[in-house]
This record gives sequence, C-alpha cells and structure tokens, in this order.
Amino acid sequence: MQQAIPYKSWSLPLSNNHATGVTPKLTTESAVGALKDAVSENAVIVLAPRGCCMSHVVKRLLNGHGVNPMMFEFDEINESEILKQIESIMTEIDGTDKRRVQFPAVFIGGRMLGGLDQVMESHITGDLIPLLKQAGALWL
Amino acid sequence: MNSSSTQYLNSKRMDVYDTMHPFSMWGDFKGNLYQDAAATMILEVDAKLDNQSEDTSHTTNIPFNQYDQEATKPVNKVLRRLAQNREAARKSRLRKKAYVQQLEASRLKLHHLEQELEQTRAQCALMSGGVNASHLRFPKPAKSGIAAFEIEYEQWVEEQDKKTNALKAALHSSLSDEEIDKLITDNMNHYAILFNIKAAAAKADVFYLISGVWKTSTERLFLWIGGFRPSDLLKVLVPQLQYNLLDQQSHDLYNLTQACQQAEDSLSQGMEKLQQTLSEAVACSQALGGGRYEMHNAMEKLEELVRLVIQADFVRHETLQQTLRYLTTRQSAQGLISLGEYFQRLRDLSSAWATRPCEPTA
Repeated sequence: MQQAIPYKSWSLPLSNNHATGVTPKLTTESAVGALKDAVSENAVIVLAPRGCCMSHVVKRLLNGHGVNPMMFEFDEINESEILKQIESIMTEIDGTDKRRVQFPAVFIGGRMLGGLDQVMESHITGDLIPLLKQAGALWL
Repeated sequence: MNSSSTQYLNSKRMDVYDTMHPFSMWGDFKGNLYQDAAATMILEVDAKLDNQSEDTSHTTNIPFNQYDQEATKPVNKVLRRLAQNREAARKSRLRKKAYVQQLEASRLKLHHLEQELEQTRAQCALMSGGVNASHLRFPKPAKSGIAAFEIEYEQWVEEQDKKTNALKAALHSSLSDEEIDKLITDNMNHYAILFNIKAAAAKADVFYLISGVWKTSTERLFLWIGGFRPSDLLKVLVPQLQYNLLDQQSHDLYNLTQACQQAEDSLSQGMEKLQQTLSEAVACSQALGGGRYEMHNAMEKLEELVRLVIQADFVRHETLQQTLRYLTTRQSAQGLISLGEYFQRLRDLSSAWATRPCEPTA
C-alpha cells in the first residue's frame, strides 16, 4: 500500500569538526553535491537546523499522512552555505522562483514546497495529498 | 501558674507570627515590644501578689487599686479577678494585633494597586501622546506592547460582538446574498485583525500570550498554545450546519476536521519537543557551571516558542478561512454567527460565575 521512506539523519561530513571547537571551513564540491543529490533522490525531504522544533512539527505532520520524510539537519554555522546551495538548486529547477527560503524547508518531488506556513496551508486546504502522491511518496 | 500562663501566651503569639510572614519585620518589632511589656506586667502583678500574701495587715499600701478597689475582699476572689483580667487583656491585645495586621496588609495592597493604576495610565497617555511623561518612568518596550494589545483586544471584542449582531440581523432580514457577502468579508477581515494584533503581542511578550490572562476565565479553560483550539472551531460550527449540508460539503468538512486535528496534534508535539529541548538546554547549563553561553541556547529555544505560537494562530486562521470556502453565503453567515455567539456566551459565563452570590462565611 504505502511505502514509508526510512528515516535517516544526514549530516554534512564537516559538521563533525565542531567538537574540536574550531569553526570548520566548508569543503565546497562534496557538500553541494550531497545536498543536491539528497533533494533529487528523495520524494520528501526536510532541511532544517539541528534541534529545530518546527522541523519536528513538519515531520509529525507528514507522518500523519503515512510519509516518513528524509531529514537533512545541519549545524547553525553552516546555515548560510546551505542557504546558498538551496537557492542554486531552486534556480536550476525554476529560475522564476524568487521566494525566500525559510527553515524548515520542505522539498517534495525535488521542488521546494516552502516553509512551515506553506506546508500547513497546503495541508489544511487539502493540496498536500495530491502533491505527495505525485512525488510518489504516497500510494493509495 | 505563672510560668504556664506565660508559656501559653508565648505560643499563642507564635501562631500570630506565623500568619504574618510578609510583615515579619513589623511583627518582630511590635510583637517583641508587646511580649516584653506583657511579661513585665505579669512580673509586676506577680510581685505584687507575693507582696500581698506576705503582708498580714489589711492596709492598702500596695498599688492593687487598678484591679480591685476594696482591699478587704478575700484574696482568692481578687486572684480570680486578676486572672480573668489578665486573660481579657491578653485577648484584647491579640485582637488588636490581628486588626492592625489586617490594616497593614490592606495598606500595602492599596499602594500596589495605586502603583499599577498609575503605570497603566502612564502607558496609555504615552501611547496617545497626550501627556508630558517626563516625570513618569518610561515603560519597557515589551510592557508597552502588551499594554497596547490589552486595549486593542478589548476594542476587538466589543467590535466583534457588534459585527456578530449585525450579521444576525442581516440574515433574518431580506438582504441579498451579495450584501450578506459583504458583511461576511467584513467579519473575516476583523478576524484577520485579531491574528495580527496577536502576532505583535507574541513578539512583544510570548509568555503573556501563552498564559491566557488576556482571556476570560472560561475561555482560559480551553487554552491551547495561546488561544482556542482550531478543532474547536469545527466542533462548534459543524453541528449547527449539519442538517443543511450537501453530501459533498459534509465530505469536505469531514476531511477538513481530520486535517485540522492532524495540524493541531503536530503543533502539540512540537510544543512537547520544545519543552524537552528547553529543559535540556537549561539543565546543561547547570551541569557546566552555568556560563552565559549556555543561556544563549535556552534563549534560542524561547525564540522558537514565539514561532510556535504564531504558527498556531496561522492554523486557527487558515481553518476558519477554509471552512467558509466550503459553505454557501447563508451557511457562512450562520457559521460566523454561531462562532461569535459561542465565544460571547463563554465570556458571559465567566462574568456570571465571578459574580454569583457566595454563601456567607461564618
């Protein structure tokens, strides 16, 4: 019936350095690639800072639909880099999409749906379910 | 007899001390005076008693006149009267003490109330700009934000009741659907205003909003993340309309009820998660000796609380709007009237409960 995508917390490799107290320099190519692949390969993916409670809200909401979203959690220090990467991904998909990225950022079927506001709105208006089905996250 | 009565006196006094904690300074000062004075009096009386018992003459060379004019009366009658007098005097002192304490308490309370009143007046004056406030303490931004909200909300409630009544009148008159639509739009815009002022209040002082002190007590019973539950909206509306709904409408409203409940649950879980992480952030700082850096984490969590409250309001607003999208004009009007009246009744219930006649205390 429904195939739930296994939950996996995906951290950027450089985030492990924060334990040493040294601010890590972002290694560009591998990180960008990782994020881009994650977005395109997962039907539903949520990008949020680590420990963000609003990402928990989104996760629970999607769980309620029988969807287990991929959670991409990053450290606060990397936020601006991640933001740039998301914007480049968005421009690739649709250059006219000038929306500001808000975290938690939800991508469905490779396209950014938006932040928590957009997810809640589409959930209440009933538009979320067809989107999830389209992306192959839901079978009914 | 002397020692036992003195001890009884002391313990009685301790009881009185216990009930006046806030005024301990005053109490200690005055109480000790009383105690010393009373003890002194007892010693005096006892000394005089001893003197009299040793004195075999019937002359009144001892100053017992304050208690007994006729020194020729038998000693035990005198003793008994003395004891009764002591008791009466002691009771009278205790009564006086209790009365004075009550006065002190009222005085302090009056002072606080006057201060609060002055502050609120000052804030109102500052906002309307009609008073030279140089002699008043300038309120903190958060407090003035909340003071503004309190006034705006009170006005909002008054307006809302008027609009609900206007809609009711319109529905029962022969107004066209178009005209009723205008009133509905007006009513919905008014709800939008409510969520705007709430958002501002959340940014000014989220704890104030979450506490629900700005609501009446009955409404506060149903408080959920700084307001009413979105699901309550549908619980009130749908039964009012259920006999007039088409199948498609029933179906849509049922799905909306489910979606609304899911959204509410996810926010509730978000709140639980927030409380958990906040608790961890605070506990961590204790373990590490509490550096300011750790508090920074906890402060960030509180920023998330503001987001959560604003998100809850978003769901309330979205649910209301979506509900009306499924309804005809007249159904929408009926729905808004029901909603307005429901909250009106809750508020009236609060007042009625607060002013109900209480049984007189013995």
